[in-house]
Amino acid sequence: MPPASPAPSRSLADDIRGRSDAELTALLAARPDLARPAPSDLTALASRSSTRASTLRAVDGLDLAHIQALEAAAVAGDSVTPAELSRLLGGIDAASATRLLDDLWRLALVWRAPEGTVVTRTAKDVLGEALAGLGPSGDDLPGGDALDETTIRAAVAQAPPRARAVLDRLTWGPAVGIVAAEDAPGRRGPSDDGPRWLLTQGLVRAVAADQIALPREVAMTLREGRVHREVQLEPPTVTGPERKVDAVDAAAGAAASEVLALLDELLDAWSQTPPRVLRTGGLAVRDLKAAATRLDTAPEHTAYLVELALIADLVADDGEVDPHWVPTAEYDAWQTEPGGERWARLAQAWLSTTRAPHRVGSRTDASSVVNALGGDVQWPPIRSLRRGVLDLLAATDVGVAPLASDLAAAVRWRRPRRVPRTLESVVEAVLAEAAWLGVTGHGALSVAGRALLASGGDIAGVAESIHPHLPTPVEAVLLQADLTAIAPGPVTGSLAAFLRMVADVESRGGATVHRFSEDSIRRCLDTGWTGEDILAGLRDASSTPVPQPLEYLVRDAARRHGTVRVRGVSAVIRSEDEAGLDVMLAHRQLSALQLRKIAPTVLTSPVRPDVVLEVLREEGFSPVAESAAGTVTVPTRPARRVVRRSSVDPALVQAMDDAQITSLVAGLRASETESRARAAAAPGGRTGPPIPANDPTTSVAVLREAIADGRAVWLGYSDGVGRTQRLLFYPERLDGGRVTGTSEGVTRTLSVHRITGVVAD
Amino acid sequence: MTDGALIVQSDKTLLLEVEHPRSAEARRAIAPFAELERAPEHIHTYRITPLGLWNARAAGHDAEQVVDALVTHSRYPVPHALLVDVADTMARYGRLTLTKDGDGRLVLRTTDRAVLAEVLRHKRIKPLIGERLDEDTVVVHPSERGHLKQELLKVGWPAEDEAGYVDGEAHAISLDQGGGWSLRPYQEQAVDGFWHGGSGVVVLPCGAGKTLVGAAAMAKASATTLILVTNTVSARQWKDELLRRTSLTEDEIGEYSGARKEIRPVTIATYQVLTTRRKGVYTHLDLLDARDWGLVVYDEVHLLPAPIFRMTADLQARRRLGLTATLVREDGLESDVFSLIGPKRFDAPWKDIEAQGYIAPADCVEVRVSLPDGQRMAYAVAEPEDRYRLASCSDSKLPVVEKLVARHRGEPTLVIGQYLDQLDELAQRLGADVITGETTVTERQRLYDAFRTGAISLLVVSKVANFSIDLPEASVAIQVSGTFGSRQEEAQRLGRVLRPKGDGRTAHFYTVVARDTVDADFAAHRQRFLAEQGYAYRIIDATDLD
Repeated sequence: MPPASPAPSRSLADDIRGRSDAELTALLAARPDLARPAPSDLTALASRSSTRASTLRAVDGLDLAHIQALEAAAVAGDSVTPAELSRLLGGIDAASATRLLDDLWRLALVWRAPEGTVVTRTAKDVLGEALAGLGPSGDDLPGGDALDETTIRAAVAQAPPRARAVLDRLTWGPAVGIVAAEDAPGRRGPSDDGPRWLLTQGLVRAVAADQIALPREVAMTLREGRVHREVQLEPPTVTGPERKVDAVDAAAGAAASEVLALLDELLDAWSQTPPRVLRTGGLAVRDLKAAATRLDTAPEHTAYLVELALIADLVADDGEVDPHWVPTAEYDAWQTEPGGERWARLAQAWLSTTRAPHRVGSRTDASSVVNALGGDVQWPPIRSLRRGVLDLLAATDVGVAPLASDLAAAVRWRRPRRVPRTLESVVEAVLAEAAWLGVTGHGALSVAGRALLASGGDIAGVAESIHPHLPTPVEAVLLQADLTAIAPGPVTGSLAAFLRMVADVESRGGATVHRFSEDSIRRCLDTGWTGEDILAGLRDASSTPVPQPLEYLVRDAARRHGTVRVRGVSAVIRSEDEAGLDVMLAHRQLSALQLRKIAPTVLTSPVRPDVVLEVLREEGFSPVAESAAGTVTVPTRPARRVVRRSSVDPALVQAMDDAQITSLVAGLRASETESRARAAAAPGGRTGPPIPANDPTTSVAVLREAIADGRAVWLGYSDGVGRTQRLLFYPERLDGGRVTGTSEGVTRTLSVHRITGVVAD
Repeated sequence: MTDGALIVQSDKTLLLEVEHPRSAEARRAIAPFAELERAPEHIHTYRITPLGLWNARAAGHDAEQVVDALVTHSRYPVPHALLVDVADTMARYGRLTLTKDGDGRLVLRTTDRAVLAEVLRHKRIKPLIGERLDEDTVVVHPSERGHLKQELLKVGWPAEDEAGYVDGEAHAISLDQGGGWSLRPYQEQAVDGFWHGGSGVVVLPCGAGKTLVGAAAMAKASATTLILVTNTVSARQWKDELLRRTSLTEDEIGEYSGARKEIRPVTIATYQVLTTRRKGVYTHLDLLDARDWGLVVYDEVHLLPAPIFRMTADLQARRRLGLTATLVREDGLESDVFSLIGPKRFDAPWKDIEAQGYIAPADCVEVRVSLPDGQRMAYAVAEPEDRYRLASCSDSKLPVVEKLVARHRGEPTLVIGQYLDQLDELAQRLGADVITGETTVTERQRLYDAFRTGAISLLVVSKVANFSIDLPEASVAIQVSGTFGSRQEEAQRLGRVLRPKGDGRTAHFYTVVARDTVDADFAAHRQRFLAEQGYAYRIIDATDLD
């Protein structure tokens, strides 16, 4: 025991009251939830530290070595000494045992009694019944007292093979097993060499018709006095193949460059035709597939890119009545930044997000598919898991590409109680995302990745570290006679935008292969380019002359483009009298009709046909209406009629009927009687002081103090139908927004949010 | 970042920059495992396929060499996932081996029991397997050797065939390299590549002398040989060529066709006669067992009809040589060629052979004609299935063909088309003879001979002339219609004019196409093959011809 430790204490509160300032500071730093809100005194701190919620937090934060130590200490019984702990942990050295106990003590999960170290009751609670896979002691199980070790050893030594096999199954937990029907306790049969033999020896106990349990002392004897089969004081080592450092950074740079190009392409497409926001939020599966086809990426990779766009604020729900996912103004700014800065922003956003793109496409608990960009992608644990994995990567030597299984084992060791069941797949997803983003190259953390982890949000520093590894953008493409354009490196800015417009991407990677087709040229012509513009653009973009077939394709497409024109009109005026039509065109009063001559005998107007007819008639022409098929239509104008709405008789609405009044009065009477009865039953008929209206924080603080001091309070409590009761309450435990205690001799659990106010008795 | 000539794409294509100083070295490094897909002027595209990787394994290359070639020559870092994938794919080859056991039985042996267990569970593989000898070995009936290889390839576990070949009935054959000719270097390489690998396919451009590769392979084997060809004319040409270039005599070469049924030490049979069925049975299949063949040669292996594949499956113990200009099949059966005939053993880009002067340089031009208004109307209202015929047989093509013929008057010219009415009309207008499927063999021979000697310089031919006719001095081909968008037909037709000319002049290949119709679309599809082989083609308007 370190010399700093004061005299042994009688309780946890006593222990905490006896701690030095430095020790208290350490405790509050390690368990920050104890400090908020500030406890009123050390007694309050002690009682808060032993609440279930806080203890659970502290225990969940332990690594495997400390969990094992805590479990062993809990198994030891009332108290434990370092020597005992060392034995229970399979003979670890005394210094380690002392160190582990000190660590637990610092966290106030154990306290120091004169006879040894004691695990707090709440900590034992939190560890649960089936501690380290051990069952309850024989004393607590049906079937007699616990056996002593000698008896157990003697009995085990004689165990027939089948019985021995059953023991072996139960030894390392779980301690309860289901037995086959013919072996059921209480049944007679030929097979008395199995579970039933063990029962008669008292080595196992029957806990149900078909269940047996192994008592703790038997298990401990079988375990040779060790609590754990394997004690892991040290984190598992993380290893993997070694890569060339240059290759790692080059690969990371290439990946970084690719992620930028892919996002540019995705968001460029979404600028033109933004996908719809689903009613539940998120992106439709069909739109995600469309993006995957366009980018030629795997579904998971596409989901990641789409999510990355969201978490980096490059895309957002436009909030319209018919909402769409649209690139943001930040995207425009981001696009113009240098490559390093662009990447650094993405990487920072990814590092700190609580969204887990790998969940896209999986099923939620409610069994609906998780949509990209939707709310179900949120998964807060991912942030610490991601950080944990990346920190482990950073802890390995430069150039080492750790195995996913090693990383998962190390993450599990660090927070065994907090990792999800799917840890292996989560670690793999994080590694895949890191590789796609270019945080790793060939599986090893890149220089830029290390800079990112150490940056603490500094964009410029990260940008500088990735910059030398990004491939230099090319300024010209190679045009070929097979109607392809090949950019032998990353293309950026206006060149990239031009190529995206005039050609379709055929393959991606270090280079980009674009294919020209009639459709792609037409698409460009549709946006207002002319054939000559396109050719000039191609000449500028290419370091070689434009091949003849490509030139021909562009000219041919341009020649045909726009040979057919479409315009919208509302009315067509036809007449064989060409002169008459010319008169109409020149007629000043008809200028409101905006007539246009499209053929010698045809005029058009954007005005509705019936208005055109009316105006022409007013000006002395005598037109007739034509149907769309060209036949003359005679307007049939039905006499106007209105549909009579049946009138509604005013109904007599009574404010309240007799029955309602009767039940209301009855309710009032009942509550009156109840409160009188309660006043009579209260000790000494006390009604207590007036109860102030407190906010919940204050109520909780007063309750905590009362719990710590073991005193009663008066509180107001609104019940299910909205009445407020006065209670003299002896609070015992406060956690999870509920306070448990006794009132009038009855144990009650009250919700804090229903408490209107508390005052100390 | 190295300054390599190669760029590795994420879709497993490799882009090779031709002008790069180390491009030749890079090309040599990747040739064993990557398929050349496109070879236009600046950047050639290769593709890595599982088939290609297994080919490389079969030829004795390992994954380390492949990865090394990629990493050494790549300009940008190669995606790690791709390297892993390459290694994984290559590791699948050779887990299963077909060998002979001590008793001379054919057995399938594995080095990985899990793989054997997996393939044995397959419904289509189970029936091909016999008794299980031990954990690692099962017996395979010799007649199922081909089928088994085919099915194993389909499930992604290609078997290494080490069971060897029967020598066949020996028969002395030697090349008769008198007369001042010898095998060209690439032909020697092709024969060596084939012989070393045992069985497989040799890909050479039209006109590059595939027949000689066949003859040289026969000389190496010195055994009775069965040669399968596309048609009778081709059979005759094989015979003539063999008589001229080898020690074989007239009596040693038999023809097995619709007309004659001779079986001799060297027998040339047509695909057609082999696939003739009478009452549901292939009556001429006995030919395959008629002799103890030491070598089977498949001419134009890309055309191999499906029934021949099935028969080939039974011939696995014999050496097989496939010859083709284009291993492009519109039906996608390339993997059957790989599993049954054998992997590709030799391939040379057309432009390389052209650069060496063994095939003539060619100028490819697409001439676009506009349909007159009346025909545009007829085209617009035609049923979709009639549209191609309507567009490609347009009258407006006739004057264009006349102009082209006039431009090359005196040079040996072929006018090639699909539709007989159109060909007859053209022949009449041009005053030329026409050869179609209905023309008798003797008449065909007579016309070819006249063309060869220069007595006539213009022939109108249908698709019967697509393959294997030898017209040494044709230097102009005018295509007026084709079999829809078939790329290999385009290549074969170009091949008609690629045989090197005495005076080294350029060959001309014209395609006359009706503008704004499916004809133009199909033409574009066919030309992709040529453009991808590096033939720069031009597009001109018919009005620019004058």
